[in-house]
Amino acid sequence: MSTPSSLPPLTAANPSHNSLARLGWRRLRRDRLGFAALCIVGVYLLLALGAWSGLLARHWQDEVAKPFAPPTLFVGVGPQHVELNAADIDAASQRSRAAAAGDSSAATGLAASEDPLAADMAAAQQQAAQYRSAEAPKADSLPLGADQRGRDVLQKVLQGTATSLLVGLSGALLALAIGTVLGAISGYFGGLLDDLLLWGYSVFTSVPDMLLLLAFAAVSGRGIGTVVLVMAFTSWTGSYRLMRAEFLKHKSREYVRAADAIGASHSRRMFHHILPNVSHLLLVQFSMLTVALIKYEAILSFLGFGVGVTQVSLGAMLAEAPAELLQGYWWQMLTVTVVMSLLVTAFALLTDSLRDALDPKVK
Amino acid sequence: MLSIRNLRVSFRDEHGHCVPALKGISFDIPAGRTVALVGESGSGKSVTAMAITRLLPTHGCQIDACSEILFAGRDLLTASRRELRQLRGADIAMVFQDPMTSLNPVYTVGEQIIETLMLHTRVGRKAAHQRAVALLKEVGLPTPDLKMTSYPHQLSGGQQQRVMIAMAIACEPKLLIADEPTTALDVTIQQQILQLLASLQKKHGMAVLFISHDLELVGQFADEVVVMHHGSIREHAPVQQIFEAPQDVYTKALLCCRPHLARRPARLPVIKDFLGEAGYSEPPQRQRGYLPDDEVILEVQNLSVEYHSRHGWFGKQHCCQAVQQVSFQLMRGRTLGIVGESGSGKTTLGLTLMRLQAASAGRVLFAGHDMLAMSPRQLCDYRRRIQIVFQNPYASLNPRFSVAQILTEPMLLHGIGRDHAERLQLAGNWLERVGLSHQALGKYPHEFSGGQRQRIAIARCLTMHPDILICDESVSALDVSVQAQVLNLLQELQDELGLSYLFISHDLAVVKHLSDQVLVMQHGRCVEQGDADTLYAKPQHPYTRQLLAAIPQGWPHSFKPQVA
Amino acid sequence: MLAFIIRRVGQMVPTLFGVMLLLFVLFNWVGGDPSYILAGKNLSPEALANIRHQLGLDLPLPQQFLLFVKQVLTLDFGVSWSTQQPVSSILHSRIGPSLLLTGSILLLGTVLAVVIAALVAYLRGSLTDRLVTLISTCAMSISGLVYIIAGQYWLAHKAGLFPIMGWSDRVTENLLYYLPLPLLLGVIVGLAPDIRFYRSCFVEEMSHDYVRTARAKGLAEPVIMLKHVLRNAMIPVVTSLMMSLPYLMMGAMLLETFFGIPGMGKEVVMAVDRSDFPVIKAITIYIALATMLFNLLADIVYKLIDPRVQLS
Repeated sequence: MSTPSSLPPLTAANPSHNSLARLGWRRLRRDRLGFAALCIVGVYLLLALGAWSGLLARHWQDEVAKPFAPPTLFVGVGPQHVELNAADIDAASQRSRAAAAGDSSAATGLAASEDPLAADMAAAQQQAAQYRSAEAPKADSLPLGADQRGRDVLQKVLQGTATSLLVGLSGALLALAIGTVLGAISGYFGGLLDDLLLWGYSVFTSVPDMLLLLAFAAVSGRGIGTVVLVMAFTSWTGSYRLMRAEFLKHKSREYVRAADAIGASHSRRMFHHILPNVSHLLLVQFSMLTVALIKYEAILSFLGFGVGVTQVSLGAMLAEAPAELLQGYWWQMLTVTVVMSLLVTAFALLTDSLRDALDPKVK
Repeated sequence: MLSIRNLRVSFRDEHGHCVPALKGISFDIPAGRTVALVGESGSGKSVTAMAITRLLPTHGCQIDACSEILFAGRDLLTASRRELRQLRGADIAMVFQDPMTSLNPVYTVGEQIIETLMLHTRVGRKAAHQRAVALLKEVGLPTPDLKMTSYPHQLSGGQQQRVMIAMAIACEPKLLIADEPTTALDVTIQQQILQLLASLQKKHGMAVLFISHDLELVGQFADEVVVMHHGSIREHAPVQQIFEAPQDVYTKALLCCRPHLARRPARLPVIKDFLGEAGYSEPPQRQRGYLPDDEVILEVQNLSVEYHSRHGWFGKQHCCQAVQQVSFQLMRGRTLGIVGESGSGKTTLGLTLMRLQAASAGRVLFAGHDMLAMSPRQLCDYRRRIQIVFQNPYASLNPRFSVAQILTEPMLLHGIGRDHAERLQLAGNWLERVGLSHQALGKYPHEFSGGQRQRIAIARCLTMHPDILICDESVSALDVSVQAQVLNLLQELQDELGLSYLFISHDLAVVKHLSDQVLVMQHGRCVEQGDADTLYAKPQHPYTRQLLAAIPQGWPHSFKPQVA
Repeated sequence: MLAFIIRRVGQMVPTLFGVMLLLFVLFNWVGGDPSYILAGKNLSPEALANIRHQLGLDLPLPQQFLLFVKQVLTLDFGVSWSTQQPVSSILHSRIGPSLLLTGSILLLGTVLAVVIAALVAYLRGSLTDRLVTLISTCAMSISGLVYIIAGQYWLAHKAGLFPIMGWSDRVTENLLYYLPLPLLLGVIVGLAPDIRFYRSCFVEEMSHDYVRTARAKGLAEPVIMLKHVLRNAMIPVVTSLMMSLPYLMMGAMLLETFFGIPGMGKEVVMAVDRSDFPVIKAITIYIALATMLFNLLADIVYKLIDPRVQLS
């Protein structure tokens, strides 16, 4: 019986049969809304890829138009000049002090007036601007308008989206990696190691995310790398809890017991058997975390603790909005809002569809 | 009183196709009689019950326009919501399978009964309270006053089901629908609940629609039996006729597929046997029991297992004795059956023998070596020789692995087969041995039925050429007809490969069919152990007697296949 | 019950210790030497040494940590580096406005969200349900910042329905004059995600077997919803509510900054901006303590709703 008889050669994976992953993909494709969301996210990623590689929006910092040049379709509709009353100015200055404060001073702890380099930098920028303005005429209108310094909002928003996506994706990936490894160890092995990691978890969760982010931001400087690290360090707890619970649940499942019985090692059981079975949750968690981190980045950058002054993100663009809005220049805010909402909605819808499509319970 | 005419129900599946669940069934339930609805999973028996009370989900479920369900002359399918609400709970009451989830966990038992009473009868709260206490007393709950203020989780499964029954009979319904009311319960409790239902039926003169997968069970108190298969009625007859002279081959098969306490054919009949022209004749009986010259392959001495649990960092340690001082011997090529109800420690025992669970004391001698004292390296080889088949065929196969991966992994880990191609070849052979085609290699577990998955699980064990196979409730989750096939497969494998089985089950009939020696467990202890035939014929321990008495006896002179 | 509370409070000790350790590592090790920040422009060595001595930075690290532990235990965090006021007195004056704002947002937001979610769950599958879910999904996608910026601009600036910003010392004036707009915006920002979460809680509960039993009893759908489902669904709702309380205190940060409300959130933003470490540390400790207390409260409320939970 156990001697091999003369059977035709066997192939392991017959393409006509369906693994759960392939079934999930098929379900996702059938879900029109989910598939549309996937396409939108894909387009965003392509645009971001273009911006990262320098193919798109490389010259976002060029001052190509007159300050606050309106969008092409709205030439003449926008405010020509705005009368501001005293209360408006007061509020705006208060706000810009509170909100945009730390633009340059957060890193050094110096107020802008005390920063010895501020004056030099401003002068240098002015010079550069003059030099450039001498050679190219400035446009009166742009497709999506221009900002205070005459930069193209379209290019800026492309670059900003790329930055926000980069921060969101890499932060989520890092947080997920930390959370998964620690959660897997904690849930699978239990015991003292679990107690220790749970303690760390309870410490991190007893401080709200935003406060922890700010505390980290207070001691670290600005810049994309720092923001990513800070976000990963503060947001690993969710994935840790999820993975710990899942590994705890799966390790006593019969299929893992069966793997133990056939002699599979701990690492084989953890990563070969259990991990693929929780991978759909990881994907969903990743997509949720990305959305959350993009939103966090917006707030951090808005408060002036986010990306550096030479970089632009969606949050940094929003930070310019209140002052612009007071003068009636609404296009930058509208653009950022639409671009960000579309991205976040697509991600949220994709998350929902992924959850449904990858659920192994639904056959 | 209730009359179902041409009931057709279909469900919409994920792709939007209509899948028929009921293909036009018709039967009557006369007043004051008990009608049993029997069938395997997917036969549509629960759908029928839900259709009567119109509790089917509103989305994706379609009831054919020609269908009629007449209750006291009214068509329930066209009744208004208001009319239905007045009927439900008052005239038609229901008892469900799982009492734990069917009771609302955040309200007391009393509150839930009072709610029903106050809804349908015009009584005050005080009167309703008194009536509820009386009801709890009637369904046989001790200290009904105290139980009124208990929450469902504070009661045992049997007590919860009694509460459900009290709630159902609260308003003196004309029809009681009991949907597998005892399936989630232990055998001894099952018997008590059945007796309670039977006595209540007589006392209140209700009609009862009793739904079950177990034909033997309904023989005890049904007046009429309706046998269903794949959404249609195969046979509808008085209970005596069903048991003594079944007309339909499917009914005959259902009666004979289940292992019987009195008989032990060398091979159990399956449905296919009855479909043939010649009819089925039973093969000769098989003799069981250890023989004096049998070789001991596994010896367990005073095995104990303790669970420790701790709440929080500073909580007290709780200690639970799951298995206490169990000793037995397993002979080569023989089967030791282990029976016990839930919580008896039988599953823990099986896991401990595999060292999937740590033992606290005792020795497990496998071919003369103590398995519990082995280093992990030594253990590896011994583990190959002792393997386990779990209960739930849906959980024991890794859903992300193809069958080829599932079967070649153990060979890879134990160095069986030279290369991948050879291992695949071997895997294909084993698949054919357990009755599946080797085409199945490329498929994934979700593409198989429960019985087929259990065959794959058995094949996975066989790839390692084990000496001992532990079957932990391996056939309990399967339908009767599939159960017979898997039991036959296990028997064939034992005859052919000389395997020794440790067969763990709560089902005494199944254990009797397969075992040479039987060990009865209660609360972690072994209460009785002995030769299978002797133990069933002359049980010594009161618990064993209680267990045996609780087995549904079916019908005294039921249909028997001819002996060849 | 008392024994449970005592033991739970005991369990907070290691967590609090962990928070202190985290903050210490963050501010005394990762953050580098803060005396440079304090010394400002006049970086004379004497001034530096003086500041270092004042802050205890010349001590070895373990002693510095002990100093910090002492500060936490006495709840005396020294003086603010930027205003030189005692940190504790700053914080005490900030708690009131924060509580007023977050408390009212929480109350109004939760009541609205639970009612709408229950309604939508009851009508699940209908057009209303899908519409509300879709609107919530879209509303969630817009950053909270946009709501606040737009709300303040249009409702206060353009329409003049509310004051643009400000806060007074009188509670009634705050409640009637300054609070409504921040409250409205806070509720709007939180409503969509809450509705979605609570709806899923309700829908999940409605698929349980006991709902089928209730239907089989002949109860009407609204009664099933209000009596049987609501109480069970409150279990996850209360948990999320209790957990979100401390987060809300911080979440109101943006509102406080925009509307000039002198609360904890605004204080944190200013402190981070000025690198005022003592204030940040103090607020973090306070909020961590609040979180732990609310977790305990959640456990106790749990017991009240769910009889299966045992506090032993």
